[in-house]
Amino acid sequence: MDFTFAPEHVALRRMIREFAQAEVVPLAMEIDREHRVPQETMRKLGEMGLLGVCFPQEYGGMGAGEIGYCILMEELGRVCTSTTTNVGAHIGIGAMVIYLDGNEEQKKRYLTPLARGEKIAAFGLTEPNAGSDAAAIRTRAVREGDSWILDGGKVFITNGGYADIITVMAVTDPALGARGGVTAFIVETDWEGFQVAREEDKMGIRGTSTAELVFEELRVPQENVLGKVGEGFVSFMKSLDMGRLTLGAACLGGAQASLEWAVRWAGTRKQFGAELAHKQSIQWMIANVATEVEALRSLVYRVGWMVDMGQPFTQLAAMCKLYGSEVASRAVDTALQIHGGLGLSRDFPLELAFRDARIAEIFEGTNEVQRIVIASNIFRERGVRIRP
Amino acid sequence: MDFALNEEQRMFLTMFGDFATKEVAPQAEEADHQEDLYEDVLRKAAEQGFLGATLPDAYDGAELDHVSYVLLLETLARESASVAVALAAHVSLVAMSILEHGSDEQKETWLPAMSAGEVIGALALTEPDAGSDSAALQTRATPDGDEVVLDGVKTWVTNGEIAGLFLIVAQGPDGADAFLVPRDTPGLIVGYREPTLGLRSVAFNTLYLEKCRVAQTARLGGAGEGFVVAQPAWDRFAVAMAATGLGLAAASVDLAAQFAAERVQFGVPIAQKQAIQQYMAEAFVQVEGLRYPVYRAAWLIDQGKDVDVPASAAKHLGAGIARGVTNRMLQVMGGYGYMEDYPMARKYRDARMLGVVGGSTEMHAHRIACEVFAGQDIEIAP
Amino acid sequence: MRVVLIVGRVLDPQGFVVKAKAGRIFVNQETYLMQPADRCALEAALRIKDGTEAEVVVLPRRVLEDDDVLRRALAVGGDRAVALTGEQFAEADDGAMAGVLAAAVGRLEPVDLLLTGATTLDTGQGQLGVRLAEALGWPQIVGGWDVGIVDQNVEVVCRGEGGYVTCRVGLPAVVTVVPGALKLRYADGMRLINVYRDEGVVERWDVDDLVGEDAPAALLENRGREFPPERERGDRAAGNVTEMAQAAADALRQWVR
Repeated sequence: MDFTFAPEHVALRRMIREFAQAEVVPLAMEIDREHRVPQETMRKLGEMGLLGVCFPQEYGGMGAGEIGYCILMEELGRVCTSTTTNVGAHIGIGAMVIYLDGNEEQKKRYLTPLARGEKIAAFGLTEPNAGSDAAAIRTRAVREGDSWILDGGKVFITNGGYADIITVMAVTDPALGARGGVTAFIVETDWEGFQVAREEDKMGIRGTSTAELVFEELRVPQENVLGKVGEGFVSFMKSLDMGRLTLGAACLGGAQASLEWAVRWAGTRKQFGAELAHKQSIQWMIANVATEVEALRSLVYRVGWMVDMGQPFTQLAAMCKLYGSEVASRAVDTALQIHGGLGLSRDFPLELAFRDARIAEIFEGTNEVQRIVIASNIFRERGVRIRP
Repeated sequence: MDFALNEEQRMFLTMFGDFATKEVAPQAEEADHQEDLYEDVLRKAAEQGFLGATLPDAYDGAELDHVSYVLLLETLARESASVAVALAAHVSLVAMSILEHGSDEQKETWLPAMSAGEVIGALALTEPDAGSDSAALQTRATPDGDEVVLDGVKTWVTNGEIAGLFLIVAQGPDGADAFLVPRDTPGLIVGYREPTLGLRSVAFNTLYLEKCRVAQTARLGGAGEGFVVAQPAWDRFAVAMAATGLGLAAASVDLAAQFAAERVQFGVPIAQKQAIQQYMAEAFVQVEGLRYPVYRAAWLIDQGKDVDVPASAAKHLGAGIARGVTNRMLQVMGGYGYMEDYPMARKYRDARMLGVVGGSTEMHAHRIACEVFAGQDIEIAP
Repeated sequence: MRVVLIVGRVLDPQGFVVKAKAGRIFVNQETYLMQPADRCALEAALRIKDGTEAEVVVLPRRVLEDDDVLRRALAVGGDRAVALTGEQFAEADDGAMAGVLAAAVGRLEPVDLLLTGATTLDTGQGQLGVRLAEALGWPQIVGGWDVGIVDQNVEVVCRGEGGYVTCRVGLPAVVTVVPGALKLRYADGMRLINVYRDEGVVERWDVDDLVGEDAPAALLENRGREFPPERERGDRAAGNVTEMAQAAADALRQWVR
């Protein structure tokens, strides 16, 4: 077993770390205060090719593989969760689903500009009555000549407010439900019938767009059906697994950063005549967080390697997301506690990290759903089928 | 042991609930977004006698026993933790300190005005280098004839923005001294209001003392007895914070239960899912487990007993439970728990503040550890 | 047009700690950065290349153990990189390396411009660009902030007395760039991955081949390392501003005596 990163991945990490420090950090608190998406960051990332980090070079991507994508998310996750959310929705579900199931024509027309960062992607699945129960969606797509007419709406769509391309899941056969009745459609957001209705007011990741979308007689040409009619869920599930792994990587970055903040403060702040680092309660907190971060790091990059090797990884990806989000929450909570009053102040970036981190246990499939996925996989190996 | 509330307490509880629902609830979300300080709510609370909650009738107080007072804080905290914290800082930290240690003149001067809500109280103890180590005071109180000159900086002064009276603890020649200083005293400057993660409708200010002259008679308690005044105040406040945590946690359980009963996924309300039931059961158990330490600490205060360790125990437990329960209940509400349009996100943020406001969990743990080893003839260092 | 760029590396200051009392430097993490002044020179070279047919060839300041710094230069836009091998030159100073690099430049003829970072005694030996110009017999402009090509000249903006001065000199020439002058661009991601995946992307020249019997001699001899003596604590002046100023003036007078 060789646990070292390839030279190109080491170089990639270094470049992204420099970029994150110089370009992302200065905006992190501002975008939270102003509740805006850092378009300038997305543009710069696009110019460097990072918005296509894992896609093959033939499609305009960087060809750095899933490991490269994990590195991108980890390094950005160290400094700004809003940025990883924007990037993750674009690469991990928006563009990824086109990469996994698009035909050559669709990849040329859509994947290449997305990989080059010339356009931004999103994924439209969630609806008011279909959160964890994604199969309960109601947006309808009806065939009309050589087009499909979409009617309905979506909620909580990351990047929804400014994406150029959104892959929308709609019901094409209500009788069949999730198995055979749902189709994925590539929608261009400047088409007639597509509307952004509102933006959510969130506790954290306020530098992201979480939009409510409305489709009213939205005409989608037949060529924009992604994959086969009725097999939308198959495409979606595949890209979801990838997204979970890289969310774990982003959480790793956040947890690592929290640990570094905590160590720095504990080594500096003096109370009772000595630095906090001399207190065992502090040492225990640090040691616990550090151990979890290392365990998470091993898990994330091992699974990234499995993806690049073409091995199945559904259960492990779910574990990355589950464990990653919880480790990140514990890490930032520890950092907050060690910083005392300073950690609670909005003049200091820690409470921002705290609010931002909380979403990871909820979106991209709540941790309850992750546990169901993990348990289902485990029991399926013994022939027991679990229903959620 | 009689675990029942007496008739009067039950009546108060209803009254408190009505007030919270009518006066606090409608404003809570907007106040949090705008970081408003609930001044009109505090005025109305004064009309109800809440601002002189535990003060005797002689000073226009409501003469509530401490258990009832704690029930008041819990009930208010269900709707807005900020109101509870602002009230507790006023009553537990300042008003009751004057009641316990003030001269007749000091009591006459300040307590009726505080009961009426005309003067809001704020304790100034914490400093940039004296957080957990609150004894490491650098603010100086230098005697000069029949005056004392105060110099220094205080941080995290709860209610600073709206306070008319500051209880300031400074290092005098004989040890720590406590002084009652009105807002308009020259040399006292109310500074920056800290923007915070939670409790956004309470003011936490920095206070500057620049050659601030006060009369010797402004001292509360004896010379060098600043901590004789401040420590019990701090203990009372710890109990109050535990009660605030209790209200927060209990309310979040109810919110989540309502959500879980209505939210249908996979064909049934999520309340039918065993994992959700586990979460709700655990939360319920924790909330119940918090009640006894909080109410007992309040009862001990009513008995005139020392409440140092029980207060720390209640606060230690309360902060942890408020944090854990609001976190779990937010999870039950999923994406909706994360949106600021729903009250859960605010409860989550408010609860997190309690890990530090009212004394950090680690400091309370230290005091409790000292108690555990008390019978063993060993001195536990911080 | 061919531009030769010379880059070197330094230890990342975040990876080591200087303990004056122990008289030692403790290297906790041995990682290297591109010499900050060389980063600026690299950006200058790339700007000259932007939109033209110019070629940027990258050479190292020293006989390097690994060619990471050269690859970095390639990743951001350099066209060619050559690493130098030769044990006996591992400790060579700027003077000796100037001779070696002059020979390397000779092998790359025709070269129009040579860029490198301007170092000082604090950041290096401060001699490379200057001695290279001497060795090549080219004009030199030292300490540039901005570099441009105008016809067959190089124009360099330098900081002069109380302002800026533009110097112009005919090609070929040597120009050194000060640190902080230009911000190095980020690499194109695809290019970065490809450069680092290509094991043979950096060429290798042996120094013996370059200089043979005319090996230049080192000008410096490293006789050891010494830390400055520990300074005593000063006195703190008290009182109001006037009193403090008086105390400071009195102390200075005393020390001067």
